[in-house]
Amino acid sequence: MCGIAGRILASPGRVGNDLVELMDAQEHRGADSTGFAIYGTPRDTGYVLRGMGFDKKGLDADMDRFREILREHGSDYLEEPAFVTDENPHYCVRMVISDPRDIAAWIRDADTLTDRFEVQSCGRSLEIVKDIGGAEAVADKHGVRDMVGTHGLGHARLATESSVLPNASHPFWARPFSDVAIVHNGQITDYHTWRERLERKGYRFLTHNDSELIAVWVSDQINQGLTMAQALQKSIPSIDGVFTYMIARPEGIGFAKDRFAMKPLVVIEQAGELAAATEEQAVRRVFSDECDVINYDGPSLTGIWTVGNRRMAA
Amino acid sequence: MSALVIEAGSRHIREINDEIQQAAAEGREVVVTNTLSRHNLGIGLPRGAHVRFEGSVGYYCAGLNDGAVIEVERNAGWGLAEGMASGHVSVGGYAGMSAGAAMTGGTIHVKGDSGPRCGVAMKGGNIIVEGKIGYQSGFMAHSGKIIALGGAGHSCADALWEGEVWVAGEVESLGVDVEVVEPTAEEVAEVDAILDPLGLVDTSRNWRKMISGQRLWYFESRDANAWLMI
Repeated sequence: MCGIAGRILASPGRVGNDLVELMDAQEHRGADSTGFAIYGTPRDTGYVLRGMGFDKKGLDADMDRFREILREHGSDYLEEPAFVTDENPHYCVRMVISDPRDIAAWIRDADTLTDRFEVQSCGRSLEIVKDIGGAEAVADKHGVRDMVGTHGLGHARLATESSVLPNASHPFWARPFSDVAIVHNGQITDYHTWRERLERKGYRFLTHNDSELIAVWVSDQINQGLTMAQALQKSIPSIDGVFTYMIARPEGIGFAKDRFAMKPLVVIEQAGELAAATEEQAVRRVFSDECDVINYDGPSLTGIWTVGNRRMAA
Repeated sequence: MSALVIEAGSRHIREINDEIQQAAAEGREVVVTNTLSRHNLGIGLPRGAHVRFEGSVGYYCAGLNDGAVIEVERNAGWGLAEGMASGHVSVGGYAGMSAGAAMTGGTIHVKGDSGPRCGVAMKGGNIIVEGKIGYQSGFMAHSGKIIALGGAGHSCADALWEGEVWVAGEVESLGVDVEVVEPTAEEVAEVDAILDPLGLVDTSRNWRKMISGQRLWYFESRDANAWLMI
């Protein structure tokens, strides 16, 4: 049992704050770890990276090596890395880099460091923040309430299929596809089969979390020429297990539900804004008045919600 | 005695339920306001209790009901009146997944549609849905009746034991091991007797009554492939 959430604003605003509310209302569904994927105002060039190192004592050495790899790919820091640490051994980092020549080639090299440091999101606007603990704790530590953007995802995890680790939290970045993130409630039963197939195609997985697989699976289908809508629909008969997942991209959020309709999804849509969550009481944190609620309770459902205005009014 | 008004808001659910129970013990009607779709409201209420929830409620509202009359003004979340033994639960709008799951008696009256698996594993009582019942409604129902006036989603009456699913409208598809039978006049009269107190009798209905085909009663694992739906 996990809790997931999505939020779309009519224009850039405090999407981080709303996602914290949506996740705080669902913390009882899993407080092992909490994570957020937030789409800020998109950059024209350069990528925002979010990453995590597993031993803060090695931070300087990790960053030196990481920067060397960046430079080998024609990229460098546009903004100095900003670090967040606490009493735990791991550290989190946000940085802005100039465009590497080829994202996939760069991340393949950067991933040689994943025994000590991993990139958790890369995008013109996407930033993934995740950590162990409940919604408020993670939000306080990383300043999530103050994150501004147009849309995003949230996740509260109750680990069932893999370990509780800060980097095994959701959302997951669809490595190496920039600006794609996923949250998932459920279990994928043919995980190893699909993982092997995707690894043979060159994809890398940093965790044993089945949700990481869906993000890459959907992105790979889109990469092969399917539209997002087609990829979502194809995932239902292709991936075995129970799931309600939401996948976010710069232009919006899509969702899919398994053939048995085992996991909930509740949505309120009003005046170009949207809140989606596992539980209705969560979306009511954002829309507190009685209003029309859409219960996506049926089996094999998919949908895409688009983002209207992605940039601040001039 | 006027109805006691209890505000739910962000208060602890146990506190709200204690107040409802206490009012019920005193024979007082209760109106719960600002429900904010919260879970587990009005659990295990006894005969004589009368509670009205303004707005929408979350999961398991009216669960384990033991004789109370419970009204939900708008929508109910998953597991409405789960395990109810007796009483009357009505929902003004939509009732989510698994309404009346494992109920053993009493009546659920949904004025809108119901979600999937309405009446799953029910062992008695009646569920009346004025709209459409969702996917796989009646799944493994042991006894009791699900009566849908509007229609039914896919895989209707899947794997019934001895429950009955009555549908007046369109049925998108049948579940496994379902037999559709022509009801006798006496059986229709029985259903009308259930609908009568709700003011829902309409003699022009073209009923489809679904019961178990009884082949799954004698399930043999070597035949498993015949039952696989996906």
